[in-house]
Amino acid sequence: MLGQRLLGLITLLLFFVSAFTPLPNLLARGASTSPRPGRADAIVVLGAAIHPEGVLNNSSFRRAVQGIILQRKGLAPLLVLSGASRNSGPAEATVRAELARELGIPPEAILIDTQGRTTQEEAVRLGELLRSSGSRRILLVTDSQHLPRAQALFERAGFDVLSAPADDFSSAAVEPEERLRLMRRIAQEITARLYYRLAGYL
Amino acid sequence: MEQLFLPVLIALTSAGTYFVGAKAAGLPARRLRAAVGKTLECAGLTLVFLGVNVAVGTTATLAVRSLLSTFVSLYPMADATLLGLSLLQAITFQWWRELSKLPRS
Repeated sequence: MLGQRLLGLITLLLFFVSAFTPLPNLLARGASTSPRPGRADAIVVLGAAIHPEGVLNNSSFRRAVQGIILQRKGLAPLLVLSGASRNSGPAEATVRAELARELGIPPEAILIDTQGRTTQEEAVRLGELLRSSGSRRILLVTDSQHLPRAQALFERAGFDVLSAPADDFSSAAVEPEERLRLMRRIAQEITARLYYRLAGYL
Repeated sequence: MEQLFLPVLIALTSAGTYFVGAKAAGLPARRLRAAVGKTLECAGLTLVFLGVNVAVGTTATLAVRSLLSTFVSLYPMADATLLGLSLLQAITFQWWRELSKLPRS
């Protein structure tokens, strides 16, 4: 009972500290990669999720727009969009490509992959796609917490990786609910990194 | 200042509940400490259930991926709903344990 109460006390303390102090913001800053944008052969936008009816989720939309902006700024000639479909709906990469075309990216500058469902699969599949297009230096776009793991995978695949996170949650999360969400993202990413190390991907 | 609103609100309503409970409903004040202890037990149990749920769910997902070559997402393991459901499991288990201590009528 004493152990259980101690565990409960730790749980509640963690909850209150996460919700009402800047601890998640500090942890997020420590766990993410600083932006390192620059000219590259291709801008690679990693997948997030798509709703079955074909609507990109917030993260997916944010990443795609970031990639489109960078391409329009002239940081790379190619925009590589990734993202599989969910159940029978359209693929995330297809919807993103349509968005990119509508926002002025020429169709010949867009490459897509609709099969990668995990970061590791994306690194393998996009790696082949990028090599076939002669790209060696890439500008990687994903969420800030996800970036270190994704960057490590692409570097391991032999690419020179620049980074452009699509968010800045470490400073944007100021409400208790946002901080709790940020804390969950950090925990999720730590677990994913651990799994990737155990599986030998990193 | 705005960030203190929720903690202050909860402190005020908790103090109000204590006053109503002790004065109006006649609940013994000395039992409050034991009640806080039970709440901590429940919070601890919630963490245990959450850990077990995440571990079992992740293992099952990875097993399905490798054995059936079917892709199943791990994202449900990060869904906030799981925390709420783990809390329900903890409350139910706590009540079961508490009620089991009572003599059978």
